[in-house]
Amino acid sequence: MMLKEMRVNAEASQLLNLASFAAVAAKEAGFDHKQTWRIELAVDEACANIIEHAYKGKNGGLITLKIAIEPNKWMQIVVEDQGNGFDPSKIPSVLPVTSLENTRVGGMGVHIIRTIMDEVKFEFKIPYVGNRLTMIKKV
Amino acid sequence: MSSSLTINELTPERSKDGTVTVPVLQVSGRLDTHTVSILEKAMSQAMAKNVKSLVLEMSGLTYVSSSGLRALLMARREARERKGTIMLCALTPQVRDVFDMVGFTSLFDIRDTLENGRTALI
Repeated sequence: MMLKEMRVNAEASQLLNLASFAAVAAKEAGFDHKQTWRIELAVDEACANIIEHAYKGKNGGLITLKIAIEPNKWMQIVVEDQGNGFDPSKIPSVLPVTSLENTRVGGMGVHIIRTIMDEVKFEFKIPYVGNRLTMIKKV
Repeated sequence: MSSSLTINELTPERSKDGTVTVPVLQVSGRLDTHTVSILEKAMSQAMAKNVKSLVLEMSGLTYVSSSGLRALLMARREARERKGTIMLCALTPQVRDVFDMVGFTSLFDIRDTLENGRTALI
């Protein structure tokens, strides 16, 4: 098993670094081009949610990305922050899309994460950690 | 390393009698939380010229996240209020994949090529 970790300021300019870090790990885990790109997107959405909702756009917060891979078997991605946790289970599903008027602008990121990943778990206010999102994708 | 998005204003489509003008924007790069304001500003400027519809040529757009989807949705609503549309042309497989994930494919006019999009609007 391989472990990787990066910690950055919770800023939009860091999203590409975080997503690219995950994409490199996904390739090492054995995912094909399409799945690698999708994993990159899921990490982007998770971190963008932290910046927008947990830290509410304020500077000074941190995002920690921890990745464990078992090549050709699975990849576990953990994203941690110390902001105000938001519970995505309270967000209604964005699907089905029925019309332009009824389509919701919120909740798309969480929907994308749940679509891409095999397992998704949100935890809040963990002592000495903060909030934690754990995502698992099987190769 | 940070993401980048480029917008080029292409030759607008005009009706033969000159009464209808449709701006055409070529969108390239990565559309995410960091770059979405570039597209929002470009679409807002294009739509401010008393136009109802807009064409986006997206063959160079390699990435879109939900931030970009939201911007496109808001622009689509604005265009609909003007009784126009947002025509999306030449989507890459990645962008098409995200559209399918969130059910956006049914909300937009999507064409395989820019030429198909141009001719469909005028």
